[in-house]
Amino acid sequence: MSRTSFLGEFEELILTMVLILDDDAYGNTIVNGIKEHQDREVNLSSVHITLYRLEDKGYLESHFGGATKVRGGRKKRYFKITNAGKAMLQEMKDARSKLWKLTPQLKFNHV
Amino acid sequence: MSEVRPPRLFTKFFKWYCKAPLQESILGDLEEAFYTEVESKGQLIARWKYIWTILRFIRPGIVRSLEGTQKLNNYGMIKNNIKIGMRSILRNKVFSILNVTGLSVGLASCLLILIYVKNELSYDTFNANYDRTYRVIQHFGGRGSDLKNEILPTSEYQVWGNAPIAPALQEYYPQIESVFRFTSQFNWLVEYKGNRYQEKDVVFGDSTFYKVFSWDWLAGDAETALVRPSTIILTKKLAEKYFGNENPIGESLLMDGDELFEVTGVFEIPANSHFQVDAIISMSTFKGYRPEIFDAWGYVDFYTYFTLNEQANIHDLGEQIPDFLTKYYDTEYGYTFQFEALKDAYLNSDAGRQPGPVGSKNNIYLFISVAVFILLIACINFVNISTARSIDRAKEVAVRKTLGSRRSPLISQFLIESVLITFFAALVAVLMVSLGHGYLELFIGKQLSVDWLFSPVSLLIGLLLVLLLGVLAGLYPAFILSNYRPLQVLRGSFKNSSKGIWLRKTLVVLQFALSIMLLAGTAIVYQQLNYIRDYDKGFESEQILVIDYGGDYKVKRNIDFIKAELLKHSAVESVSVSRATPGDFFPNAGTTIETPNGEMLAKSPAIYEIDEDFIPTYDMHMVAGRNFSKSFPTDTTKALLVNEATAKLYGYSNPEDIVGKNFSQWGREGKVIGVVEDFNYVSLHSEVEPLALRYSIWWSTEKFSVKLKSTDLGSTLGELEAIWKEAVPSYPFNTYFNDMSFDNQYEADERFGIIFYSFSILAVFVACLGLFGLTIYTTNQRAKEIGIRKVLGASVQRIVTTLSFDFIKLYCIALLLAIPVAYWIMSTWLASFAYQTSIGWQVFGFAASITLAVSLLTMSFKTIGAAMSNPTKILKDE
Repeated sequence: MSRTSFLGEFEELILTMVLILDDDAYGNTIVNGIKEHQDREVNLSSVHITLYRLEDKGYLESHFGGATKVRGGRKKRYFKITNAGKAMLQEMKDARSKLWKLTPQLKFNHV
Repeated sequence: MSEVRPPRLFTKFFKWYCKAPLQESILGDLEEAFYTEVESKGQLIARWKYIWTILRFIRPGIVRSLEGTQKLNNYGMIKNNIKIGMRSILRNKVFSILNVTGLSVGLASCLLILIYVKNELSYDTFNANYDRTYRVIQHFGGRGSDLKNEILPTSEYQVWGNAPIAPALQEYYPQIESVFRFTSQFNWLVEYKGNRYQEKDVVFGDSTFYKVFSWDWLAGDAETALVRPSTIILTKKLAEKYFGNENPIGESLLMDGDELFEVTGVFEIPANSHFQVDAIISMSTFKGYRPEIFDAWGYVDFYTYFTLNEQANIHDLGEQIPDFLTKYYDTEYGYTFQFEALKDAYLNSDAGRQPGPVGSKNNIYLFISVAVFILLIACINFVNISTARSIDRAKEVAVRKTLGSRRSPLISQFLIESVLITFFAALVAVLMVSLGHGYLELFIGKQLSVDWLFSPVSLLIGLLLVLLLGVLAGLYPAFILSNYRPLQVLRGSFKNSSKGIWLRKTLVVLQFALSIMLLAGTAIVYQQLNYIRDYDKGFESEQILVIDYGGDYKVKRNIDFIKAELLKHSAVESVSVSRATPGDFFPNAGTTIETPNGEMLAKSPAIYEIDEDFIPTYDMHMVAGRNFSKSFPTDTTKALLVNEATAKLYGYSNPEDIVGKNFSQWGREGKVIGVVEDFNYVSLHSEVEPLALRYSIWWSTEKFSVKLKSTDLGSTLGELEAIWKEAVPSYPFNTYFNDMSFDNQYEADERFGIIFYSFSILAVFVACLGLFGLTIYTTNQRAKEIGIRKVLGASVQRIVTTLSFDFIKLYCIALLLAIPVAYWIMSTWLASFAYQTSIGWQVFGFAASITLAVSLLTMSFKTIGAAMSNPTKILKDE
């Protein structure tokens, strides 16, 4: 397995957000989604850059559409997860569960 | 809402740095987020966030790269061209090294010559008033001639003139701002705290020197330095010699053992001044000694320089000369003068009696031709090798063309390659110049300033020239290469283009011709310099030791005693005492001699003051009459010797006839008693001038000439010094050999010769490099032919001859071209010498055979190898 097939924590987050947002995944909705579901402030620039990187890696694809007045008539760049992206997420989730199974019973140290 | 907008400046900034394909969606997102923020958190925070986000977007993935966008497309192409160029340079190392070496040697020689020429042209330019400084050149005619309205050829004038003209000019011409006079050099015995030396280059000068010349002033007050009598200013060199690290200002020097002069200043005359002195004594001192000569229009001892104000025109001043002379000049002797610009003083003056050595325009022209020749040869190399090699690049060109390249990008590609090579060559050349500069200074014996080379303007010009040279040298190959038809080349039916051949041949002819010319020039320069050195000067100067006592009073009082003491030494053959010896400085004197038809004619020949032993000591020959003799006591006051030129000057074609005629000169009257064969007492650059030799009175003598028999000069010198110290304890034993001092005049010529030889050899070397490259190429091209010839039984010699024969044909054509051109150039150069060697066929024979031998040798490195190679190796591909 080559290095590029690993995903970073932030990349995984973005990829998941795109999957959640389905047909409405573009820069701003992702920023807002992350804020809403994770209570985490991320900058638009980090999101965009990560999106392009994921697209380069083949986990995302994009298309233009949905120009609105509030955007100054500019088109949105919608992202959609590819099969490779989905497989990757699945793989990461499985790998993590596998690891979780190997841990001893989770105990919190109180009393 | 319509007023609330994202900050436009930052939007623009974002558009500027962001990659074009990403811009739209990001800006859209930004703007959308902005308006959401405005509603939830207010305009201020929204603006800040917008700006902050834009700044955060400056990241590698977003920022556009320098290449790849439409606007900078050429850059990408040029980058690619440079890359390909570098590869092709590295791939063909031999040719690249030949090219770079040839060009860099050519450029370096050119640059060194330029430095030299620039230095020659820079003479006197350090003066602030360079453009409006002039000097007076004067002509002294005979008695009764009226020269007021005459304008004579400038060679009839002399720079050395009288004293009263300076104040008169200032009074007459309101346009003249300041005048400065200085005298010829005097000998002084200078002493400070027991250090005693004879100083030869000390002059008297007006206090106005600082207004006319912008010398470097190092200490003291320039304006008052030379006002009072008995003051002296010293050059830095002299100040250090006597005072070391002490401050010399206000100290006193003991001059000639009896006078104290106060040092009032330290100065330095820049090396590129047309005259140099070591110290200047105030003119008021001189005026105190001999006030009468400051009113004497006939007494010659001053160089006069002046500056005009900015509006004045020197031409107007010239027109008023007749009027000036009517007003100020009235004696029966003819006299007139002209003005000469300071810019002409070093290179353009043929007036007599210059205050310092003058440069030679002819030498400069010759050097410039050499520079141009070398550069031409280097460029020809480049063009030849590149065109010859063009076949190797044919496939590359064909593929590029097939892929859609048009002609102009191909041309620019090859031009970039040649500019690259020129650029490397220039770098190497600069390195060579920085190494060679020191040697050049050593050869020339002058400081050559190179500061100007490193000014931004020069660097820019240099860069442009490199570019131009690269383009010029690369133009032809670029056109040939870019013209190939891809179909022919790729189909394989393409053969070496015959198009470049005529040009290559022409260039080789030109190169041969230039080399032959340079070698012929070298031979002629060498021959001429030898000719001058060995020319019979008309006197014997070897083994004559001159003791220069600078007219010291104590020595003069004891001349006869010292002479007798010196003669006691067994190695001394004869001793003479005189004012000047051949090669020295000498005065002129108004001399009247009876002409064949009985008139008294006044002229102004040079004079020597000698004793009866002078002529035998120097082995001069009497052609008529007799030498001075002790047995004629009246000789000391009533007799005069002249040389053959003087006899002719006064109208005697037969020297016998002037003997016995009446003369009067400097207060003496009597008869001419003899005629000396012309001997060359100045230099062989000029003809022998008329000279009168009079008997010296003791006080006008300055030198002993001691003729030595011995070959063991070292010990003899020591013994003579002991005798001198015994006889004259007060004056140093200051000696030199006459032949050496006479030959010093040719030092400039000798140096010129050495430099000329070196550059010629370099030029031929560069030409050989080119020939070598071309030979490598043609032999490679004809490898198969050679193989087949060998298989069919050709001998090695036969093949070498075949390979060399092409070049020999070209060489013959070159020879025919080179001879007349070289003949013409060199006879122009020789014209500056009064005594010229003849240009014989041997010179050209020499140049031709050397060129042929060197070229054959160069070619043989490759041709013999090719001829000896094993034909199977070459032919096995077939």
